[in-house]
Amino acid sequence: MHSSIRPNQFAVIQLPSDQTRIVKLVPNTFAANQVIGRPFFLTFEILDAPQSDGYQLRVVPAEELHAEHLIEEAEADGEGEEGDSGAGTPMRTNRTIVDDASTQKLTTQEIEELKKEASGAGKDIVAKILESHANLDKKTAFSLAKYTLRKRKKYIRRFTVLPLDVSFLANYFLDQRDAQRTMELRDEHVGLLGCLGNVHHGGESTLDAIPTIKPNGRYFVVDETGGLVVAAMAERMGILYPENEDEELESTDGAQEENTEKKSTTSTPRRKRPRPMSASGNTITVIHAYSQPNLSLLKYFGYDINTPDESHPLHTHLKTMSWLQLVDPSADPILSNEPPALSAEELAELKASKRTAYYFKRNRWEKFRAVTDEARAGGFDGLIAATLLEPAGILKHAVPLLSGSAAVAIYSPTIEPLTELMDLYSTARRTAFINRKRDLEVQKAPGETVNLAPLFEEFPLDPTRLLPPTLHTTRVRVWQVLPGRTHPLMTGRGGAEGYLFHGVHVIPAEASIQAAGTFRKKRKVETTSTPVSDRDVEMTS
Amino acid sequence: MPSPFLTPGSIAQANDVALLHLRRDQTIPTILRATDSEHDGYKEGKVSNTRFGSFPHSTLINQPWGSQIVASKVDTGSRGRKPSNKRKAEELEASATTTGAEDDSSSVKKPEAAASGFLHLTYPTPESWTLSLPHRTQVVYTPDYSYILHRLRARAGATVIEAGAGSGSFTHAAVRAVFNGYPNEESATKKRRLGKVCSFEFHEQRAGRVKEEISEHELDGLVEVTHRDVYEDGFLLGDPKTGRSPKASAIFLDLPAPWLALKHLVRKPASGIESPLDPSSTAYLCTFSPCLEQVERTVRLMRELGWLDITMVEVNHNRIEVKRERIGLDCEGVRGATVFPKSVDEALSKLLTDDERAKRLRQAHLEGTRVNPPSQEDIAGEPKDQSTPTYNLGRLVHRTESEIKTHTSYLVFAILPRDWSEEDEQKCRQKWPSDKVEEEPKKATKSRKQQKKEFKELRLQEQKEEQEEKEEQATENSEA
Repeated sequence: MHSSIRPNQFAVIQLPSDQTRIVKLVPNTFAANQVIGRPFFLTFEILDAPQSDGYQLRVVPAEELHAEHLIEEAEADGEGEEGDSGAGTPMRTNRTIVDDASTQKLTTQEIEELKKEASGAGKDIVAKILESHANLDKKTAFSLAKYTLRKRKKYIRRFTVLPLDVSFLANYFLDQRDAQRTMELRDEHVGLLGCLGNVHHGGESTLDAIPTIKPNGRYFVVDETGGLVVAAMAERMGILYPENEDEELESTDGAQEENTEKKSTTSTPRRKRPRPMSASGNTITVIHAYSQPNLSLLKYFGYDINTPDESHPLHTHLKTMSWLQLVDPSADPILSNEPPALSAEELAELKASKRTAYYFKRNRWEKFRAVTDEARAGGFDGLIAATLLEPAGILKHAVPLLSGSAAVAIYSPTIEPLTELMDLYSTARRTAFINRKRDLEVQKAPGETVNLAPLFEEFPLDPTRLLPPTLHTTRVRVWQVLPGRTHPLMTGRGGAEGYLFHGVHVIPAEASIQAAGTFRKKRKVETTSTPVSDRDVEMTS
Repeated sequence: MPSPFLTPGSIAQANDVALLHLRRDQTIPTILRATDSEHDGYKEGKVSNTRFGSFPHSTLINQPWGSQIVASKVDTGSRGRKPSNKRKAEELEASATTTGAEDDSSSVKKPEAAASGFLHLTYPTPESWTLSLPHRTQVVYTPDYSYILHRLRARAGATVIEAGAGSGSFTHAAVRAVFNGYPNEESATKKRRLGKVCSFEFHEQRAGRVKEEISEHELDGLVEVTHRDVYEDGFLLGDPKTGRSPKASAIFLDLPAPWLALKHLVRKPASGIESPLDPSSTAYLCTFSPCLEQVERTVRLMRELGWLDITMVEVNHNRIEVKRERIGLDCEGVRGATVFPKSVDEALSKLLTDDERAKRLRQAHLEGTRVNPPSQEDIAGEPKDQSTPTYNLGRLVHRTESEIKTHTSYLVFAILPRDWSEEDEQKCRQKWPSDKVEEEPKKATKSRKQQKKEFKELRLQEQKEEQEEKEEQATENSEA
């Protein structure tokens, strides 16, 4: 992740009131040029008059930001000592303070005028207001500190520039935008979802000489949060942010930098263009319910799904497919209409516009064909979902495509969809499933393969393929830490509690025996006479 | 060798660490070895003995991860005989590609083995490792470390300092978070920064144990364990004074007195030695302390040292169990069910039938005759619904699991921005001159009002965009 503010990227402006705004910093506009290139997390104060070279910002040092607390802490120490020496000074309380408008002697008009005149970025205003506050000397040290803090936040012209990342975006939607749109996903959910799903970078298989029976780090994602979950997983996998070039940018001077910029915009050699969705490992495969995926939030990370930036890692590592393409590719309008492959001569005869159209169609078909074939071949390393769809349906189709020991992690803002899912994996149901399956196997005629269709009519999901289904909930509680006044915050956000379902894909032993052929059937009966399934009940209860 | 924690591949190989999943919360970690000197004496080579039977590793190695493995009959009584089964293990490995043959070779034991049970062979993850690891100190559990790593921005390619390696749960989670490739010559020449965890442990024995584990888990080169008192000697790798800087961007302090370590985590240490922090990146810090007093001291020093955005939180996590709850008078003899009227109606009919029966009894008593035992229908009230299987009966309910952790520790987060000198600022001003933008003089005197206005406009624009987006989607949908 980048440590300094970069041109043409989204960044976060935080105001003293803790309000935040997402802005795109376009270079060579006044405000942007004053902050681009500076490190994130610095707080700037807007000066009243620009300096000689046109700059109007001052970096506020950390001591100044913490001034209030540092003074308070020093005070707290002092009080402690006084208390030891003599208890003569009466403790000041807020007993005699009447809170009404009359205690503030400045009128709003006067304050507005002050704001216009005043210099020193609001500090003067705060001082004046404090001066004119009639009951000021009656306030206790604590409430005085609070009061000044509050006033200062209101009038001081400062802002902090923060990097825009998944954590921020989640909180931004939660607090300032439509929380429903991101399914009220909180930081703690994002972290836990990624960990339970065991989502991580798959390693560079070409570099690391990993014995590649299969590519590493391929994840299924079902995301109805507008792309927040995809972004969170991509962040974990190291494919969310464009390649780290800022360090180099720092050292090179402006001229060179412009050069590279020109190059990248004008003449990228056509042959070398990376094909979209072409990466084999460390990939995210998004399955979407409509014909197009909704991943609009990825735009904040420099990736627009409709006009993808080819240098962005997501261009090759993010694959999308509809449920139709996964479940029934022959019915899909794109996949089922393969544009005929034309020879070079045939192509040469075509008009330019037709040729472009041909390439477009052919490439699109090839892209989706490849993604579909690869997905249906299975071997995925995990399934992450935050979805409005019924979870059982997702698992029905996706679990068989996971590799053994791969994790399933599903987020839901409410618990009901997940309790239903837990019930589909209940011990009682698993036992019934095993018994029923064995019955079918015993009934079948020799030489036939077992017809399991009636089994899956009764059981929508194979309950033996996921262990141990677990339901989690987590919530973070925020505290204020001040000397002698440490306590949890008094108010917080309500709304959805948020739940996570977790399980690990396992491969039941019966499956392998069944696949081995007919002569095994006899032995199968023998082996099952020992109570495998009864054990199961005991073991997994 | 790749680590099964990070790149497990699809089958379990010899010398991999594997987790043998017995049942919920009962997982045994083991290193897969066909033969093992420690366990010599078994005919089958190395054997893991569990409460569900014995599992020779020859039945585990070369199996796909996630496989259900049936226990084998192992003679645990008469050890010490010449291990003759080496041959069998070799045979197994050789025939592993053809699963049929392999099944045959082990099937000799299967009939008796099934009686004791089975397990599932899974590859290790930081989560399963955390639940099964040998406890040495307080363990940082999944709900805590998942949140911490997320807030610390410990992502692929980052370097994490961990002080207080303890039991190693956080170490494993952190190395998964930052992993983006194994160190080797090729990746070193390619200018790509590899993720790394620098772990410091004060307790010599524990440090040694963590080192061993890291080797066993094939994480060497990704985790560097140092035995060190970080309060005194700081965080440089190798020599405390002249060693290399780990150049960390994320720091996790699980120490009894984090404030004593903070003095080393500055951009320019007073003693003139190198800073352990990455000079070109923001530093994210988290301390993990169980007591409020520790937090207050830590936060206070953080403020003095210029850490920003200091926040303190605690993580409350529960697991929830889901059950079917059956209540009703028709549940007599059903396991886990409560025999009690499930509704007022059922209670009424029960009261009436009871009354009826009492009347009949009294009558019979008076007449001196015997009563027929009540028929099935009298007890059940109404005929049972035979079509619904038992697993589908009752109401689905959920509750928090019976044992919960009500407090783990307080987490203090803080951020230290990059150093920014006057010189840097001047350089930056040359690169991004403010006078390039004379055409927008209005913005030069940006009052609060104007700022507000701008934000409003921005917001409006965003809303517009959103509206458009929605419309686009809507049209797409309708097209679809």
